[in-house]
Amino acid sequence: MNSTGDSGAKSRPRIIRILLILIALTASLSILYALQYYAGSPVRLGVVSPVLDLATNPNTPIVAGGIEDGSIRLWDTTNNWELRAIDLHDGPISRVIFSPDGKTLISVGYDGAVKIQDVSSGQVIHDINASDLPINDASLSEDGSVLATIGDDGVVRVIDIASGQITRMIGPIDGAAKAVAVSSDGIQVATAIGTDIQIWDTRDGAELQKLTGSWEDEARQEDWLGHSGDVTALVFSPDDTLLVSGSDDTNVNFWDLETGEVKWTGENHFASITKLVFTPDGESVLSSSADYKSRIFRVPGGKSSDTFVGHLSAVNSIAPGVLPDTLITGGADGSIRQWDIANTTVSHIEWTKLGVQPGWGVLLSAWLLFSGVIGFVCLYGLSKRKGWSHLLSLGLFIIGPIIALGLPILEATSYTIAWTLRLVVMAPLLLLAAWYAMLIIILMRERVVAYYDAPDTLELSEQLSVNQRNATIRSSLFVGAVWIFMVVALYSVLRRFNLDIPFMQHFLPFIMGGAGLTLFVSALSIVGAVIFALLGALGRLSNNPVAKGVSGFYISIIRGTPLLVQVYIWYLALPRLDIILAAIPAGILALSVNYGAYMTEIFRAGIQAVGKGQHEAAHALGMSRGQTLRRIVLPQAFRIVIPPIGNEFIAMMKDSSLVSIMGVWELTFRAGKIGRQYFRNIETFLIAAAFYWILTVVFQYLQGNLEAYMARGERK
Amino acid sequence: MTEPIIKVRGLHKYFGPLHVVRGVDLDVQLGEVVVVIGPSGGGKSTFLRCLNFLEEPSAGSIEIDGVEINAGEPSRQHRKHIREIRQKAGMVFQQLNLFPHMNALGNIIEAPMTVKGMSKEEATEKALELLDWVGLSEKKDEYPSRLSGGQQQRVAIARALCMEPKIMLFDEPTSALDPELIAEVVDVMERLAKEGMTMVVVTHELHFAQDVSDRVILMADGVWAEIAPPEEFFTNPKEERTRQFLAHIL
Repeated sequence: MNSTGDSGAKSRPRIIRILLILIALTASLSILYALQYYAGSPVRLGVVSPVLDLATNPNTPIVAGGIEDGSIRLWDTTNNWELRAIDLHDGPISRVIFSPDGKTLISVGYDGAVKIQDVSSGQVIHDINASDLPINDASLSEDGSVLATIGDDGVVRVIDIASGQITRMIGPIDGAAKAVAVSSDGIQVATAIGTDIQIWDTRDGAELQKLTGSWEDEARQEDWLGHSGDVTALVFSPDDTLLVSGSDDTNVNFWDLETGEVKWTGENHFASITKLVFTPDGESVLSSSADYKSRIFRVPGGKSSDTFVGHLSAVNSIAPGVLPDTLITGGADGSIRQWDIANTTVSHIEWTKLGVQPGWGVLLSAWLLFSGVIGFVCLYGLSKRKGWSHLLSLGLFIIGPIIALGLPILEATSYTIAWTLRLVVMAPLLLLAAWYAMLIIILMRERVVAYYDAPDTLELSEQLSVNQRNATIRSSLFVGAVWIFMVVALYSVLRRFNLDIPFMQHFLPFIMGGAGLTLFVSALSIVGAVIFALLGALGRLSNNPVAKGVSGFYISIIRGTPLLVQVYIWYLALPRLDIILAAIPAGILALSVNYGAYMTEIFRAGIQAVGKGQHEAAHALGMSRGQTLRRIVLPQAFRIVIPPIGNEFIAMMKDSSLVSIMGVWELTFRAGKIGRQYFRNIETFLIAAAFYWILTVVFQYLQGNLEAYMARGERK
Repeated sequence: MTEPIIKVRGLHKYFGPLHVVRGVDLDVQLGEVVVVIGPSGGGKSTFLRCLNFLEEPSAGSIEIDGVEINAGEPSRQHRKHIREIRQKAGMVFQQLNLFPHMNALGNIIEAPMTVKGMSKEEATEKALELLDWVGLSEKKDEYPSRLSGGQQQRVAIARALCMEPKIMLFDEPTSALDPELIAEVVDVMERLAKEGMTMVVVTHELHFAQDVSDRVILMADGVWAEIAPPEEFFTNPKEERTRQFLAHIL
């Protein structure tokens, strides 16, 4: 029987031929989907379209939305939010603005166009091809006569609405692209240049003012009043005395235009500010942020009282609502929400399209691209009847979908929508999951497995060992898949705690900064503990009554009291003896003494495990007891105790959290500090837990390798 | 007759109530090879281990190369003498007892360096000579776990010799070895004997006793049953106990 090569193609069993066709189909479709996704085409499996901007009509109950899929949508809020979609732009719409009389709608987009249309007829009045590059922001003066835009080309364009002409171009300016604002009187235009703000005169293009910020404490260069991250949103107050700016540094600054300095700072958001809008009365500023929340800042003082929590991802836009005491927000989660200001609850939600969050869409397409490419590699191997390709396909189609499909499916079950709608949202993902399940079932058919196990050209013994190895790998693939599923499920459960994800992202680096100290404290403590344990063990094994008694007492008292209590006693008692230790040395001392007592037994066993013959051989050579211990017994004992010390080290990394009560800035301390400060203890301690887990897993892996390495030395 | 290099007088050893060595005397001359044979439990190994104080004798005295120690006088002086005697008496064990964390060379140079304060270069030079002498030059970097039992025992002999002992004590050096590995160890012992080393050997290798030894001792129930030159011992033993023992093993 010829089982390889071209002539083998005809002798392939039918099930193998089916498998090859299915995998070829899967891989090609995956790549096709990914390619069209990255090319910006509209086929996006079950993914909503983010809302980039919103505007409310001052005179009619209409809300306009600029959507990432390139449509402008108009909702009639009085008529059960009836929808009208307008397709004018090629590409996402970055801003929509109603004229003061509410009769015209101005829209700008990534296609670089500015379109001015009549709202009731839908007729385009002016179509201005302003730029070849995306326009990111636009602002209209209060009387509706002057529009300013800014885009990726860094040029500020001033447009006369009546004529539809570009009356002035300022720039290109290096570092300007994100935000622009026109004063109410239409005379000043402000644009963000990196962390600074520049104001020009719209009439002659003259530079009027530059807002950069200042030190509150000039002498010591402390407390910067200004932005430390790129400015992302700008708005003038209706009376043109204030300019309000939002930034990547998460702050909202209120600039006094007379002095050019920051008057108040709002530090309530945890991520970039996406939009700032003044209410018509000029008494408050509405802000939306990538921290999934919107806020209202009171103008005298810049204090924020109300938070609007509910969006599933970044809030891109905010506007006063049609009804009094409401506001409207639009987010990257594809929803438009109308909020009741008094009780900060959602009174209405509109979805651009039912689907999962865009982030999952990105994950899905990345997975499809990856799986498509690897799928073809598998296909090549499978057609050549290679054993590795069978294992690779199994791994690809078991583990990948758990993450790429499992996460969004579980996520969709948490959306606050009806179950039927949830099923609609999940449908494409569930279908895909079923498809992968079918592939796995075929791959695991006995005939398929047998076909790809060792070819008959090998010796029987080799065949058997290869088959055995393949079976082991298959089983560990499934075990790995279960592990990954458990992680995904755990993540999904945690998401239901209503965790403040942007808050976690914001403080992740800060808490993570404690991981280094945790490792440092644990590493030094384990060294200290080894010394104590060694002395303790030698004392226990000694014939000297003093050594024996002291070590016995040490072990008894330390093992007989809780570590937490010991830490308190070290912390509180040492200063009374006028021994002032810094928190870190005191913590290391507490841990060393405690673990030393526990590890004494390990060392005692290690020393005793070195045979009597070794002592005798050394003594017979004339070596003294000290020499024997140092040169012969301890080196061997150390090899024996290294694996258990590794275990103790892992335990210590977790127990090192107890020294947080001494004020050592390690993981737990930082988590507790931030948690208390912002009332988000679950979030911060989850981060700390995750880091402990990661550290533990990494060290367990290293320890496993170490043990295997040492065991190998023993066998040889 | 010159002064004997080993002088044992009235040696007793108890393990608790067990009286293992029951008052033996022995003189060994320089260059003499004495083989101790006998049934298990007869006290052979204990007697040998008493010679370098791995077992502390309960009574009696031992003098090796002019260093005399009486049993039961623990003192600083006593411990110092023990270490002196141990440096004069090399020992090879049934259980090989190489240091597993050192390679062959490391095993050999350890004691000369730590005990005698020899420089590493000097010790290594000497160790390489000895390794060559036991036929293991090419194994100098191997760890004990990668050497056969016979090779390990030869390294152990080289290790003992590197301390330049006056006498060598062998405690059943071939008993733990596979039969085909015994010859290589016995061969080294024979060469050592021919070079004039004073040796006390506890063994079951009767060929070694017959061919190499100057005197053979049968030890049974803690006492000498018979001491005789090998030709006499094996062909014409005087004691009934010896005849019984030989009948058992021959």
